[in-house]
Amino acid sequence: MEGRIAKKDPIRWLALPGIVIVALVTQIPFIATVVLSFVRWIIIRPDQGIQFVGFQNFLHVFQTKDTYVVIGNTVVIMLASLVLCTVLGTCLAIMLNRDFPGVHIVRTLIILPFFVMDAVAGIIWKTLILNPSFGFNYYISHWLGVEPIDFFGSHAIITIIMLIVWQWTPFFFLIILAGFQGIPADIVESAKVDGANAWRRLISIELPSIRNHIQVAVMLGLIFILKVFGIIYVTTTGGPGVLSSNLPFYAYRVAFNGWNVGNSAVLSVISVAITLLLIIWLYRFMNRRTGEAD
Amino acid sequence: MVRKKIIRALLVLTAFAIGIGYSFPLIYMVLTSLKPEEEVVPPVFVFTPTWENYRTVLNENFIGFIRNSVIVTGATMVISLVLGVLAAYVIVFGGMSRKKADNLFFWFVTTNLLPAVGVVLPIYLLLKNLQLLDQHLTLILLYCGANIPLVVWMVYSFMKEVPKEILEAAYIDGSSRMYAFWKVILPLIKTGIASSALLVFVFAWNEFFFAVSFTSVNAATVPVYMSSFMTQQGLFWAKMSAISTIAVLPPVILGWLSQKTFVRGMTMGAVKG
Repeated sequence: MEGRIAKKDPIRWLALPGIVIVALVTQIPFIATVVLSFVRWIIIRPDQGIQFVGFQNFLHVFQTKDTYVVIGNTVVIMLASLVLCTVLGTCLAIMLNRDFPGVHIVRTLIILPFFVMDAVAGIIWKTLILNPSFGFNYYISHWLGVEPIDFFGSHAIITIIMLIVWQWTPFFFLIILAGFQGIPADIVESAKVDGANAWRRLISIELPSIRNHIQVAVMLGLIFILKVFGIIYVTTTGGPGVLSSNLPFYAYRVAFNGWNVGNSAVLSVISVAITLLLIIWLYRFMNRRTGEAD
Repeated sequence: MVRKKIIRALLVLTAFAIGIGYSFPLIYMVLTSLKPEEEVVPPVFVFTPTWENYRTVLNENFIGFIRNSVIVTGATMVISLVLGVLAAYVIVFGGMSRKKADNLFFWFVTTNLLPAVGVVLPIYLLLKNLQLLDQHLTLILLYCGANIPLVVWMVYSFMKEVPKEILEAAYIDGSSRMYAFWKVILPLIKTGIASSALLVFVFAWNEFFFAVSFTSVNAATVPVYMSSFMTQQGLFWAKMSAISTIAVLPPVILGWLSQKTFVRGMTMGAVKG
């Protein structure tokens, strides 16, 4: 086919509208964000104008204590959610990778939270379930004879992690389940014939063969969980103080509450830089691992 | 044998209990939406269901937000689908060198993974100066930018699997590219395309960051309404639950329908290795 179609195939132009729109919405504004990170511009102080200040915004951001709290939160949220989602998702996939009457219903029940919008997930958990005066929280605590926990006050970041895990475990579950279902049946069968029990089969055959699926789930989960925003916005608004803010939310708040363009741009650049580093790091990690296997 | 059967039955019951427990907040939300407001607390599971809350919440105001969501999501779905399928077609069948095609594909995927916070500020400033904030068209354009990569990502894996020989045969028989696309490629990948479209619908319907940053009244979508609901309505939990149920129903159904394609696209790198 290569020979039949001329080298500069005019059909390529068909990809252009898509590329232009994507570049217009993602790449070009990101370049603008980088430029803005070198500018001093506080929208609500028009008298101060807009001036180029070099790395001053970066210096200021890295001299603010909140920045470190927020970066710490981002890492903690990410690591805790990833570990919990991976473990839970794998356990659920092992449990539901078999046939029993109604298995599809149970799978559906596990998957549903993934498709629920952040705003609803946050509101439902904050009111119906965890509200310390009228929610399930109160009645269960009452029944246990303990004080209801103030989930969104003193345990804000743990609660945020819990909600993220609730929303994202289905994603891990779906991918890992697909991995289990992709294992050729004859491999498992021959292990059975050789007398390997279920536990042994899981450890020596099934888990190693879904290694790639787990890696993909972790890599994509990492990148998606890094940009969590809606859940924090509707439940804790990043508080108390900045104790439950992650980088995207904090950057948003500096921009739209403080109207400090330069500082917010710096935080956005940090967010994107961390994501890019993770993408590259995991891409390499995966290549190295698959290279070993060959 | 009987013992084995009992153990199995217990395991099935446990699985159901875990599933119901996992979705409990959603189940409880639906139940609450069917209760009269004064019976919401304390939580009981036996009550006479009523549609009263749904009748109350489906007012002019909420329907306006639903209309915005439908307009924005529908337009995004159609445009992203057309442009995304075209781009995927060029990547797979455009006669590019392998390296170039891979690079273009990888570029689309990475743009989808980058956090929106990296672009929100300049877009806001631009829209404000052009007085384009709170417009349907603005949100549609932004959502297309975010979802075209998703379509490329999902549809790519289906196009890759179209056997080259069938295409060759069609060209030898003298069919045009257009004809080959409609008659050969499309029938083979139409389920992939359909569920990619549904996924775009789900993600655009649920999108929160751009919606809350760039819209307020005129073009605000359902998630924006939901987020303002907390403060406005305070403790009317039954009505809040009814609104939430309506808000999550379309994405939950469509998402459930398209989960296979979603997993397939996401795990493309895994099965290859």
